[in-house]
Amino acid sequence: MRRLLALVVILATAWLVREAVGDDGTRTTALALGFALIAAALTGDLLERVHLPRVTGYLLFGMICGPYLLNLISRPMARELNLINELAIALIAFVAGLELNYSRLRPRIAAFLRVGIVLLSVATLTLFALLWAAWPWLPIWPEAAGWSRIAAAALVAIVVVGFSPTVTIAVIADARARGPLSELVVSVVVLSDLILIVVFTLLMQFARWAFGESSATDVGLLAQLSWEIFGAMAFGAIVGSVFALYLRSVGRELTLVLIGMCVLLSAAGHLLHFEALLAALAAGLVVENIAPPRGDRLKEAVERGSLPVLVIFFAAAGASLHLDALATVGLVAVAISLVRLVVVAGSLKLGLRTAGLTEPYTGYAWMGFMSKAGVSLGLTILVANAFPAWGVAAQTLLVALIALHELAGPVLFKTALTRAGEVGKAN
Amino acid sequence: MIRLFDSAREAGGRDPLDAELPAPAPLPIDWTFLLRTRAALGLVPITAPAIVLVPIGMLLGPSALNVLSPNVLAHLDTVISVALAALGVFVGLALDLRRVADRRLFAAASLEAAVTVTIVGGALVLLLVLWHPRLDHAPLLVALVIGVAAAASSAGTVDASADERSLNATRIADLDDVVPILVGALLLAAAWRPTAGGMLWLTLVSAVAGLGIGVAGWLLFERAHGPAERGLFVLGSVVLLGGIASYMALSPLFVGLVAGLFWTYTPGRADQVIRGDLQKLQHPLVVVLLLAAGASIRLDTLALWLIGPFVVFRLAGKLAGGWVASRVATGLTPVDLGALLIPAGLLGLAYALLFWQSTGSPTAQAVLTAIALGTLANEVIAMLVVPHTADTAPQVES
Repeated sequence: MRRLLALVVILATAWLVREAVGDDGTRTTALALGFALIAAALTGDLLERVHLPRVTGYLLFGMICGPYLLNLISRPMARELNLINELAIALIAFVAGLELNYSRLRPRIAAFLRVGIVLLSVATLTLFALLWAAWPWLPIWPEAAGWSRIAAAALVAIVVVGFSPTVTIAVIADARARGPLSELVVSVVVLSDLILIVVFTLLMQFARWAFGESSATDVGLLAQLSWEIFGAMAFGAIVGSVFALYLRSVGRELTLVLIGMCVLLSAAGHLLHFEALLAALAAGLVVENIAPPRGDRLKEAVERGSLPVLVIFFAAAGASLHLDALATVGLVAVAISLVRLVVVAGSLKLGLRTAGLTEPYTGYAWMGFMSKAGVSLGLTILVANAFPAWGVAAQTLLVALIALHELAGPVLFKTALTRAGEVGKAN
Repeated sequence: MIRLFDSAREAGGRDPLDAELPAPAPLPIDWTFLLRTRAALGLVPITAPAIVLVPIGMLLGPSALNVLSPNVLAHLDTVISVALAALGVFVGLALDLRRVADRRLFAAASLEAAVTVTIVGGALVLLLVLWHPRLDHAPLLVALVIGVAAAASSAGTVDASADERSLNATRIADLDDVVPILVGALLLAAAWRPTAGGMLWLTLVSAVAGLGIGVAGWLLFERAHGPAERGLFVLGSVVLLGGIASYMALSPLFVGLVAGLFWTYTPGRADQVIRGDLQKLQHPLVVVLLLAAGASIRLDTLALWLIGPFVVFRLAGKLAGGWVASRVATGLTPVDLGALLIPAGLLGLAYALLFWQSTGSPTAQAVLTAIALGTLANEVIAMLVVPHTADTAPQVES
């Protein structure tokens, strides 16, 4: 009751301020941040009481208060909130790295890799075939034919398959889950996304060739790709080592230092053109596996630091959900989403069988592979920028699809974690 | 350690009677106390001296290395608003005037601050009218902004076992931060709504907003599920306070002060919760403000014109204010108190930064530059004057 009252007071205060100044207020970042921090956290808490993930609460808050509905978070405010995205991704990936203990996972790594490869290849090929066949009826570029149609369908298929390491890790962290299902999903999602980024980059090159924009072989591309992946991991490993050293020898103000490290990783990723997510993951892996922390200090720092960042990240994502895209191509997006669900669930089943994983949780493991968010959105932007003639239409459809999965994915994954009895096991 | 009662400098040599008496206990004042200050009311003593950090900010700023480029400074805007709101909260949390003695000291400190604002503001408005410099705001507003920035003092650290006189003197240096925040809020509102009604209305709205966030925080802090969620509520409240003020282009210091006061005077542990959580951020917060102020410095003719009067009239204002305050708070001498009030510390600088951030005018940047450099001059003077004063002559009134 007190929480609800607090939420009402905050909403009333925000309304009063906007009434007094109107939309003339220019510097909106801190207002949007503060408002989202408290109000989204309270919405998440409300949803947790009805056994839904808090993450969904943050998303719903952003969606309801965002520019498409109540407009309490206006479009410029939503843009300002997105500034925190890269920091959030780095922090979430670092937390994921901390969860991946090599000695605990060693017996299953080969199996996870096999699951990832089968899942990705079967799902992508199946979706590609289906999309290619249905291409004339899709609101993208119906008249495309020949190599152009193949290239466009392949690019759309790879984006449709893509998963979201960020949402997956956030749901696990939020539910404080630990167990075989969490490990399977997080490992396979991260591994698959790595492979997916490589495949996507190669497909982009293929598409450029198909549309007559470049030659098929490009050595620079491979070098760039290697830097993006291995350079990121090397940089992350160095940063992780320094952090581990600090943790052991100083260990003070850990929350601030942790946030500072994530800012460094995301800024370096931006400047040096590598994947900040991979660098942060490597940093977390180094800390967990090479210099594991003693005591609960790091755990407490991570909890303190990650909660506000997660809240803002998902509230911003909710406020930026393109409800207009959903309104225009919603039905097609729902149809593709359902097809994806069936294809991914089937491919995963095949992958699990191939890898010899037959534990009971594998029956509903597919629920963990329904989230889509940042990486997929990033890929759609790349497609739209590279091929504006048809990429913009593809982007509208894919963004609508991602919006659907962003809302449904965390709910499904939390349900699976609850069924597996892994919720709260990390405590 | 400087001995306040050292009689070696006494004219005509040591008094034979003094030689027979036991040496009085030294006041725990050392020139290094200026490096480790409370910077503003409610902050714990930290080593973040303006005299070191402002020049570092200048070095990192656009005028030198450009590490803190205009783009980075623009991004720091949000952080600065939040830092200022946190500073306001600290002041509000420390403003517990339930004891009569505290109220008396608060009255003395407020009088001292008001005298300084009047002297500095009055002198500068005269000078500005005489000089006719190109200003983006009314000369009265500019003069009063400088007066407000001059009024705050930074309290040095004294030993907990120090005598009451030292404690009271530093307490006055602490408490003189409140009047500048209140007057400063009105002045910022006046920058947008020059009419008295409009100015009061905007200030009232910002006070109500601060109160609203205070109420929300009070409802949330003690019912949080664990430290992580409590930390989130504390952070969210302070960011919201800064955000509201920043959105309205008003004073985060004032909005934070209102919320801090609410938490202090309402039942429960809200004040302890927020103090405990915010104190962890105090050091980086002070450092960011000082660096940002240093990086925002840009020397121009107006700034150069303003530095001298700011330093001179602030000194005069503090000495006169110290004299007035010593009439209200017994047991303090004007010289002693006036000298202790010379270090300018953080709050005046923060207010100048806020004025520039809110208006974005070249005049505001010149004011900030003058106050930043004047603050450094004041710190240097304090380093010279405080030990000297201490050596020569504090006379305790019984």
